[in-house]
Amino acid sequence: MTTELAANGKPFVHNHGAHCETAVTSALFRYQGLDISEPMIFGIGSGIFFGYLPSVKLVHLQVTAFRNRPGTVFRKAAQRLGANLVIKTYRDPQKGMNELRQVLKAGHIVGLATNLYWLPYVSERHRHNFGGHNIIALREIEGGFRISDPTFGDPVDCSAEGLERARFVPGPMNPRGFMYYTKSINPHPDLRRACIKGMKNSCGLMLRIPLPIFGVRGMRFLAKRIVKSEVKLGFQEACRHLAGTVRWVEETGTGGAGFRYMYAAFIQEASELFGSEDLVRLSRDMTAIGDTWREFSVMSARIIKKRNRPEATFANAGGLILKCADLEEAFFRDLQKVVKKLKA
Amino acid sequence: MELEKEIFKDGMPKGYYTQNDNRKYVLDTNHCWSEEVCVAAIVSEVRANIENARKEVIAGLKSPLCYHMAVRQMDVKFLARAAGIAVFRVKRHMRPEIFAKLKSSVLDRYAVALAVTPEELKTVPDSEA
Repeated sequence: MTTELAANGKPFVHNHGAHCETAVTSALFRYQGLDISEPMIFGIGSGIFFGYLPSVKLVHLQVTAFRNRPGTVFRKAAQRLGANLVIKTYRDPQKGMNELRQVLKAGHIVGLATNLYWLPYVSERHRHNFGGHNIIALREIEGGFRISDPTFGDPVDCSAEGLERARFVPGPMNPRGFMYYTKSINPHPDLRRACIKGMKNSCGLMLRIPLPIFGVRGMRFLAKRIVKSEVKLGFQEACRHLAGTVRWVEETGTGGAGFRYMYAAFIQEASELFGSEDLVRLSRDMTAIGDTWREFSVMSARIIKKRNRPEATFANAGGLILKCADLEEAFFRDLQKVVKKLKA
Repeated sequence: MELEKEIFKDGMPKGYYTQNDNRKYVLDTNHCWSEEVCVAAIVSEVRANIENARKEVIAGLKSPLCYHMAVRQMDVKFLARAAGIAVFRVKRHMRPEIFAKLKSSVLDRYAVALAVTPEELKTVPDSEA
């Protein structure tokens, strides 16, 4: 936690967060005077999700999403908390950068979507083409901008050219200068109602999308694919795909175990808010689901490292995902019933 | 493995949610071992791709475009959309004899998409970066 000054001299507290989008949203709200934690935003914005997209490839590897599409968490959370936002995209990089400077001068702090590969300050292990990394611009400094990237521990400096490139890189991963800031915010939102809305929405997303690649059905689909992958693709290639999947579980700013721990943290916070015993129990269930995902990632790592453990096989790794799918289906059915009993 | 430890020693730890002694969730910076393994696998693959491409260019099998594409972690489809050039043309331009005859206007488009100068685009570094 470090304190920085925004353009108008108002202090901004930089908090370390797990996920870029939720952390940026909570930081924007906190700056406006609404103290709300990152897991709370994640839950209210219905962040938890599962989707396995076999046809969408990011540099030869399939996308396995453990959260909702970039941008939706923040939009839904803002809507449910009654915040008034300005959201903009640009075609012309010059115009986008000029407007960013103007808005910063007016004393706002601005959330930006950037391409992670082109941010000058990230290290090699974070570098991959992903066009939805969210950061906050605090103020303009000489030759660049002061940036608060909540994924990392401390605020950093970023050159103007680097930021322009990251915001307007040509190609399919172009964020098109996506930027957003809060105009006004409801200082005393109805948190209980917002939580209920978020939970209900999450249940629907996980259980009711009638396509085999989303929600718990998607998990079962992925599990079958992983079980078959060794025969179908050969050991080397199957390992590559498995490493890609584990990356989505652990690495891409998930807060551990594919956002499951973060959601457990949200349910825990909500249980205090509602004083509900049921939610305490559900938080424990979610932690167990997170532990199963972690078991899967550790087993996959053993397969990749060829540790010669007899239990580390593709069939068992797939089996663990199936177990996760069953647990999560039970969890969200349970949550659906509990939410009905909660009073806003 | 050295690579795993090395790439995680960059002073940029991420946050993870873990339970403290009272079973309350707090943010922590300790990552899971499996993350090291899979990130190292992916990083070493990217490095191997770049090195392979460099060797193939020096051997005269591929054009320098192929190397710069690997450095930017793109594939042909990605590069085609970034440069605004059809996929089959990008594939053709991977052949050194065809790349050598390209007009400067086409080279400029690749240079912008890959963020290198047109001179750099025609060469590859001699030694491993």
